[in-house]
Amino acid sequence: MPEAVSYFFMSWTSPYLLFLTAAGTFAGIYVGAIPGLSVTMAVSILISFTFKWSVNEALALIAGIYLGGVYGGSRSAILLNIPGAPAAIATALDGYPLAKRGEAGTAIGLTTVVSVFGGFIGILALAVGAPALSNLALMFAPRDYLLLAIWGILLVGSLSGKSLAKGVFAGALGVLIGMVGLDPMTAEGRFTYGSVQLTSGVPYVAAMIGFFGVSEVLAQLHFLQVTPVKQDVRHIVPSWGLLKKHLPLATRCSAIGTVIGALPGAGGDIAALMAYDHAKRTTKHPSRPFGEGAYEGLVAPESANNAAVPGAYIPMLTLGIPGDAVTAVIIGALYIHGLKPGPMLMLETPHLFWFCVGNLVLANLFLLPMGLSGIRIFAKIVETPKAILLPLILVLSAVGTYAIENNPVHVYWMLAFGVTGYFLKMYGFQVGPVILGIILGPLIDVSYRRAMISAGDEPLAFLGEFLTSPISAILVAALALTVLSQTRLWAATIGRLRRAPTT
Amino acid sequence: MTPSDRRLPGELVFVLVLLLFAATALWQAFRISGLASWSAPGAVPMLAALVMLVAAVRVAVATMRRPPADVPPGSTLSREFGHALVPRVIVAFTLLIVLYMFALEPLGFVVASFLFLAAGMWVLGSRRFIYNAVISAVSLAVIYVIFQTAFSVVLPDGVLKGVL
Repeated sequence: MPEAVSYFFMSWTSPYLLFLTAAGTFAGIYVGAIPGLSVTMAVSILISFTFKWSVNEALALIAGIYLGGVYGGSRSAILLNIPGAPAAIATALDGYPLAKRGEAGTAIGLTTVVSVFGGFIGILALAVGAPALSNLALMFAPRDYLLLAIWGILLVGSLSGKSLAKGVFAGALGVLIGMVGLDPMTAEGRFTYGSVQLTSGVPYVAAMIGFFGVSEVLAQLHFLQVTPVKQDVRHIVPSWGLLKKHLPLATRCSAIGTVIGALPGAGGDIAALMAYDHAKRTTKHPSRPFGEGAYEGLVAPESANNAAVPGAYIPMLTLGIPGDAVTAVIIGALYIHGLKPGPMLMLETPHLFWFCVGNLVLANLFLLPMGLSGIRIFAKIVETPKAILLPLILVLSAVGTYAIENNPVHVYWMLAFGVTGYFLKMYGFQVGPVILGIILGPLIDVSYRRAMISAGDEPLAFLGEFLTSPISAILVAALALTVLSQTRLWAATIGRLRRAPTT
Repeated sequence: MTPSDRRLPGELVFVLVLLLFAATALWQAFRISGLASWSAPGAVPMLAALVMLVAAVRVAVATMRRPPADVPPGSTLSREFGHALVPRVIVAFTLLIVLYMFALEPLGFVVASFLFLAAGMWVLGSRRFIYNAVISAVSLAVIYVIFQTAFSVVLPDGVLKGVL
């Protein structure tokens, strides 16, 4: 036990590690905030940059960037309506209206405090619950991963738009795009049409930057005449009363965020959307209607997405399975440094686990002062005319896309996705489900086939297993509930139940 | 669930194109491994394409039910499409992006980006040419330094090979 304590404080007592964590958090906030730069991209680049470092140093820097980046996406979501990271999609829904009302400062202050709060709850869960959770997750079969992945896509599709059909279409499109390339199980090419480029699949970062960055830049071209609202960024530190009022919601959403972050493949982005949905369903009297600047609409996603970061560490450290895209990259780094993420990690190298926990706490502590400062500079950036800002964002997007593999073809992909995303947005489709489909497509593919093969290629046996295993049955129920809650049948039934006379 | 507002110009065409795309995807997915087995490489692609097709049909039906786009007298549908969806500034900016992408390697990152930034700002409405050029140069310098030193990203030299 004393050993664990010493490893916990390792990054606190070593000046270099302290500096790296702080630098990482600071850089992460701005990387996350600038649309066109993604945390995944930054972490990927840093993995290659830090190969020669010791694993602790690399992890310290990356933890800071990750935590800072997930929070940072909220800044541009609030000020520009461009989520800097997918985890901030829900934040823009109420954050941007708040900014338009001139309350950007309050919004940023609130999200900062709530993010730090969520982070602590997540870290607590990581420290206390990781061993227990790893035991449960060991019982997950491939079909359960399949259900989780589909559920994640459905959630994104149903939460952020008016049409479930459009959301499902987008998700399926994403899955198909994710299928392009070599089949992981048989190594044959799918949708490759003899092209070497396509054999390595569709570049994920180009897709993300294209769908989220470039398409939004194009969409914003419709609003060039709109002068950016002068932001009131004076009242940043939120009043204690305001915080206390939303504390219960923040706590619940942090719990949601931690659990979802812990689910494989589902990370801050889904956590934020589910928390937002939860807030919508449970807040009877929001400060304002949702979508028009409700504080609850900020508190929910931001506490959830920051709680999801330590949450995503849970499966990564205990199972060797990524909690989301960033942790997928981190797992690669751990392997390079000679470590074996998996159930044995806690037994063989417990110090790594405690180091990560202590490091995350440190990064979270840095987040508070850093998040509450530097806003004036950032706001000044926002007050620049769009004609200046948008080309710059485009250049950053191009660099970010190019930087991954020094391949100009990726930049072409970025533009193609950008234009496609633009038209999809204009006609009412969401791009969030597309990206999730791309990330989770391979997981769906492999899980489905493993489950089907172990059912002997018999569809009936395959389906039967979903109902016989308790974990699977629960997941099926959750999935069905999500789908049904979107249909008119549900709304009608609920309506009838409400109107039923009470005796 | 379906709003009773009018369709946007070009929306029906777009949705039908998506439908066609979904059908094509299903056909292409089928060609991967046919109906060989439930766990063949083509299984998930086909299932995804099927889901996409069903969703596309629902969207198409819902879109067709809505009243057609509002075309004011004296205008045509394609003109309204241009006005609402692809106004001149978007077309110009997109063309600029395409030129930028093609110029990245031959001209190099610094030169191509500078030209793109200056031209882009002008196209988007900032007509203060000197101001544009200065901002472009300064921000480009910052970006270049950060990405080269902190991230060790190798950006194409192009025309400036040997100079930087």
